[in-house]
Amino acid sequence: MDEQATNEVFRALADPTRRALLTMLSEEAQPVSALTAHFEMTQPAVSQHLKVLKDAGLVTQRRNGRNQIYALDPEPLRHVADWLEQHVEFWTTRFDNLGRLLREKHGTDA
Amino acid sequence: MARTLRFEALYPYTAEQVWAALTDREAIGDWLMPNDFEPRVGHLFTFTTKPAPGFDGIVQCEVLELEPPRRLAYSWKGGGIDTVVVYSLAAEGGNTRLVMEQSGFTGLRGWMVSRILGGGWKKIIGQGLREAASRVVDGKYRRER
Repeated sequence: MDEQATNEVFRALADPTRRALLTMLSEEAQPVSALTAHFEMTQPAVSQHLKVLKDAGLVTQRRNGRNQIYALDPEPLRHVADWLEQHVEFWTTRFDNLGRLLREKHGTDA
Repeated sequence: MARTLRFEALYPYTAEQVWAALTDREAIGDWLMPNDFEPRVGHLFTFTTKPAPGFDGIVQCEVLELEPPRRLAYSWKGGGIDTVVVYSLAAEGGNTRLVMEQSGFTGLRGWMVSRILGGGWKKIIGQGLREAASRVVDGKYRRER
């Protein structure tokens, strides 16, 4: 697992505004002006959050006339999935071990 | 919101036998991790394992509940998480059902766990995340002997 990429994704997701932006972009790709309308903050402030998301690879940007259209790229969320998966794997392995230990100690019959 | 990882297993042994494996230092070392556990509420202990990126290999714990042979709880702090692990044992037709729940995921990782377990992001996430979520929700680990 790419630890640096994982940390960057977690860092990008750490802020509630950025999480809200991702949720909005999951509905549809939008220009920053439409996104700003949902927040009590300036457009440059929203742009700054979008830049963090872009740096983490969670958002892509393309020009459409005078507008910059932002879209969600969910791919980096796999890093988060990997983290949870590791956690699940950890316990799965451990409970397999526990079953084996009980068999060794007490045989196959209760 | 779901912030609990849950595992369940049915073992063909008595609750006392499973309980012993959960509360004996050497046994715990065999199946979980090397430790200095003592079956005493308030006892502070650690699990030590191989360090990994973002994890120094040490889990700090405190025994919170001890109710032989039914319920054991300890705190579990390390690797960026601050949680509580609870084991519950119940007799079931000559077998013992073990349920382990790890709860209290807080902060960012807690938010992620809750979103993933809650399925709120299902429509935007990739297959990998969906699989991870369904494995946890469905209790991937299940031993019916």
